[in-house]
Amino acid sequence: MLGQYLPLLMLFGLAVLFAAGSFIASGLLAPRNPTYAKRAAYECGIVPTKETPERFPVKFFLVAMIFIVFDIEIIFFYPYALAYGSLGVFGLAMIMVFTFAVFESFVYLISNGALEWGPLKQVARPSGAVSPERTAESTIRRVGLENRPIAEETAA
Amino acid sequence: MMFAQDPLYAGDWLGDALIAGLKVLVAFAFLLVAVMLNIWFLRKVISDFQNRIGPNTAGRWGILQSLADGIKLFFKEDLIPENSDRFAFKLAPYLSLVPAFLVFAIIPIGGDFNGDDGDGVVSIFGHDTLLQVADPPVGVLWFLAMSSLAIYGVMLAGWSSGSKYPLIGSVRASAQMVSYEAALGLALASVLLVSGTLSTHAMVIDQSGEGPAFLGIENILPAWYLLPVGIVPFVVFIIAGTAELNHPPFDLVEAEQEIVGGFHTEYSSIRFALFFLAEFMNQITMGALLVTLFLGGPNGPAFFFPEGWWIGVFWFFVKLMGFLFLLVWVRATLPRFRYDQLMDFGWKLLIPLSLGWFILLAFIQVGRDEAWSTAQFVGLGVGLAAVFLALAGMLTLAIRNARNERIEEMEDAHG
Repeated sequence: MLGQYLPLLMLFGLAVLFAAGSFIASGLLAPRNPTYAKRAAYECGIVPTKETPERFPVKFFLVAMIFIVFDIEIIFFYPYALAYGSLGVFGLAMIMVFTFAVFESFVYLISNGALEWGPLKQVARPSGAVSPERTAESTIRRVGLENRPIAEETAA
Repeated sequence: MMFAQDPLYAGDWLGDALIAGLKVLVAFAFLLVAVMLNIWFLRKVISDFQNRIGPNTAGRWGILQSLADGIKLFFKEDLIPENSDRFAFKLAPYLSLVPAFLVFAIIPIGGDFNGDDGDGVVSIFGHDTLLQVADPPVGVLWFLAMSSLAIYGVMLAGWSSGSKYPLIGSVRASAQMVSYEAALGLALASVLLVSGTLSTHAMVIDQSGEGPAFLGIENILPAWYLLPVGIVPFVVFIIAGTAELNHPPFDLVEAEQEIVGGFHTEYSSIRFALFFLAEFMNQITMGALLVTLFLGGPNGPAFFFPEGWWIGVFWFFVKLMGFLFLLVWVRATLPRFRYDQLMDFGWKLLIPLSLGWFILLAFIQVGRDEAWSTAQFVGLGVGLAAVFLALAGMLTLAIRNARNERIEEMEDAHG
């Protein structure tokens, strides 16, 4: 059994060697003249003035935490999937109870808005910007057409 | 007692180690060449979709284009940003590339699985071995472990860059990959329910030969797991796999209109190339895993049984190419998801769906094992359906509740 891990170890070594070799080759072949602008953080040409924020939306942490709940569920699913034959109806009932418990907590999380992202549709807060009275005619001011005949009139 | 020793490795250990080394070398070279051709394939097909020619200068039909790109990148300046964490910045490409190589080790790519004694064992220089680098007992768990490790590569790359866009890209990437890994794992659990084993080799043996009769015709359906497992885990696996790969339409990680290049914005030269290598290698591996888990691996269609190990390799590659073409097709067709849509889709649709399917499948399997009568099946099935409906209703209610609460919050804030 353990013999099957030998090739994995070999492949691991080969992959690490390949990556390291690439870096060494690149180090030998590539030019090296860094300037301040090259080494600055890339912000599409704007000179970065502020430090990179170390904080990001807490939603991402929530996702990571909810994932743990599901990962545990999956971890319990795998042994069940491999051994369900010998567990019979009892095993089925138990896995259903377990799934129900996890699903219930999942529903609770969703209900509390733990997985709410992004903007809501405009329906939520009708703004004055959207109204049937506003058309292209009423909102776009034609520039340079003052005192000039409109195309349709000239055609007629 | 032969404890903890594989029969394939019994006896001449030096010869076996050499064979293992040979297989590792072949797999390594194969992966590099396959990535080269995969990138070329992607660019050629996508240029056909967009009515242009694509790469056509380097080599015949531009087939050496990716090689030329790779060589060019060796000669490019390798920059490490000033306010980066240098150790993590250098470590990240390893964490991305090495798992990409290692996952492929468990994929059986060929061998003769026909007939009763078709166990896929081939003989190389008089040594019996399998046409896969390794067949560890943990099997597909190896895949899950390695794909989780690869997330660290992405996460560290973005975090260590010391720059805004990479940080946002990597945080997005890890949240996305983690979310879809749950769906992927649940789809995989359904397969395990049918296969009863984790070993990819045993799965492929199990999928050889004839499947069930269809419309009274024997010998027409293959014994692939797609049939007993059902279409839902298959589709969930494809979607979640595409999301794991950060492939369009799930490429928010490197949404160039919003966050430049995503987590590898600050990477240049060969470090950048290694990230790309890992990405395309993962595409191949994901396709190979899909073929192994659902489409019989190297097994051909049921009615087509020539002899020889090469026929397995042939069928394996036909199916793999099918998946790779599907990826390019999706990339050329679908626009990118918005982040909230991505999260909603993964958590509120794919995960409950695959969870429900797993329970349904377990119910059917246990019922078959216990030899339930039709009446029992119908009675318990109705009960199960009622529970499913109630739970689905609960979920819908929860989603609506969360939405309404947000609307109220917003109205309070804006008056």
